[in-house]
Amino acid sequence: MKKPLLGGLRWLVFALAVVILNFPVIATLVTSLKSDAEIMTNASLIIEAPTLDNYVAVFAMADRFDILHFLGNSLVASLIGSVLAIAIAFPAAYAMARLEVGRSWLLPLAVNLRAVPLIIFAIPIYLMYQQVGLLDTRFGLALIFCLVNVPLVLVLFASSIADLPLEIEEAGRVDGAGTLRLLVYVVAPMSLNVVAASSVLAFIYSWNEFLFGLMLTTNNATPVSVGASFFFAASGGGVRWGVAAAVMILATLPPLVLGLLMYRQIGRSMTAGAVKG
Amino acid sequence: MAEIEFKSVAKSFGKVGVIADLDLKVDDGEFIVFVGPSGCGKSTALRMIAGLEETTSGDIQIRGRSIAGLAPSERNVAMVFQSYALYPHMTVAGNIGFPLKMAGRPAAEIAAQVREAADILDLGPYLDRRPAQLSGGQRQRVALGRAIVRHPDVFLFDEPLSNLDADLRVSMRGEIMRLRERIQATMIYVTHDQTEAMTMGDRIAVFAPLKDGHARNLMQVGTPEALYERPANLFVARFLGSPKMNLIEMDQGQAPAFGTLDLGPRPPHGGALLLGVRPEDIRIAEAGVPGLAGRIRLVEALGAEYYVHIETAAGELIVRVMDKRLRPAPGDTVALQPAAGAFHLFDKATGERIGG
Repeated sequence: MKKPLLGGLRWLVFALAVVILNFPVIATLVTSLKSDAEIMTNASLIIEAPTLDNYVAVFAMADRFDILHFLGNSLVASLIGSVLAIAIAFPAAYAMARLEVGRSWLLPLAVNLRAVPLIIFAIPIYLMYQQVGLLDTRFGLALIFCLVNVPLVLVLFASSIADLPLEIEEAGRVDGAGTLRLLVYVVAPMSLNVVAASSVLAFIYSWNEFLFGLMLTTNNATPVSVGASFFFAASGGGVRWGVAAAVMILATLPPLVLGLLMYRQIGRSMTAGAVKG
Repeated sequence: MAEIEFKSVAKSFGKVGVIADLDLKVDDGEFIVFVGPSGCGKSTALRMIAGLEETTSGDIQIRGRSIAGLAPSERNVAMVFQSYALYPHMTVAGNIGFPLKMAGRPAAEIAAQVREAADILDLGPYLDRRPAQLSGGQRQRVALGRAIVRHPDVFLFDEPLSNLDADLRVSMRGEIMRLRERIQATMIYVTHDQTEAMTMGDRIAVFAPLKDGHARNLMQVGTPEALYERPANLFVARFLGSPKMNLIEMDQGQAPAFGTLDLGPRPPHGGALLLGVRPEDIRIAEAGVPGLAGRIRLVEALGAEYYVHIETAAGELIVRVMDKRLRPAPGDTVALQPAAGAFHLFDKATGERIGG
């Protein structure tokens, strides 16, 4: 810290790492701000004539491909899918961690289901959705997102709940709380950091889900992961890289904003002062 | 107020027995201390009253009614934990008022009760703070507040002072004793600290670990004085008292080393005996005087008193010296004289006390 040269070197290394790790994102951002002509002639990261034309073009296509509609679908389905997954996994994880419900087999089973390629479920789910009218609906998509998210959220909650000081829950029981009120008043507030972390992860997984978005939606509920691909050949004559890059940047923003909002919660300790450390 | 009775209670975790054959009656309004080394089942006994553990066999009754199968909330007991176990996301007021909230009391009543408890415990200025913003002593007072606000039949304390530093422990001890005078409730206090046990309890119940080969946990129950002056067995004799009681092997029922020791009339006994003498019951005299000859090996000066370690033919003995004029020094040869009648006899094999 005392030597400026060492400090400078350290920042150089950090900057280099940031550039290398984020190169695809940076390249996409830069491309989205170049004109079609410049994309062909100038491959460097320095933009000669920055322009928002590509973004204008994306919104101008709303009559054929409505980016806001796709974003809206993704947002609604991802939010419902994440919240639902947390609502289901939290009590389940408590039952596993504290009430010894299937501790030795239920968690591994749920987690291993996640390891199975999702395509295996594709046909039965399609047929079921057809029967109950969930095809091409945001809620149908949300249910799938929930299914995809539950195993991960379950693992996160099961381990975090197991790490909470048991005495606090015992105090809660002696103070008159049954299991449900214990969950609501004591365990859930102490798990807010994990709720934040798992909701960000679940939202991102939902947002990036492609397979079921492609299969189960046609028009009304198309998520942005699928919708973005429509823009690549939007003009008919070859890929419009600038437009495609602008769509990708727009599609990246919501999870990015959510991550930044939740970031402060994630690293926080929720049990400070509860028990002697 | 309530009396509590353990009836032939046993508890095991899997195959490991922790409590066996526990029979104990705690009187209404009594302050009883469960004391013993770690693993002796004292905390488990407490947790069985709270409903945090179930008995494996036997029955526990509060006010003559079995509490088997009752949820913790249905037992009207309050518990103070060693680790405070405060709700970290609630304010002090929220913590203290939580049991009343769970009982569905109206907000105005909760506020009044919390205020009253906070006044008793000097927590008034801290009601809006979170536990993380409090000191260890304040946190434990919040835990006390959470217990008293409910006016429970029974208070359970599970080593509540073990996490506090020495000064704070003494002042919190006083605080609990004052609380005790204010609140007429049956209190059970678990500790491994014999000073807390001796100073706080109306009665003390000494527990021993089953894993050390004891057939049952409860070694002796009685007032602190009774336990100290007439320990029923070697376990209690060794556990209470600091420094520990000196135990001398007797040969043929005699302690020849002490010379003319009058053990008084006692029932004839066949087996090997141990003679117990407390460190304060031995007097150090100059060498040559009748008594047990010895040589001082080590002197621990504690300011108000000395602990003198003396090598003798009967093994190393510890003598507690209060007389400031006496200046024992390592290497000195001395004679030891036990105070008249101040000794205890134990059967070496069974550990039981013999005679009066």
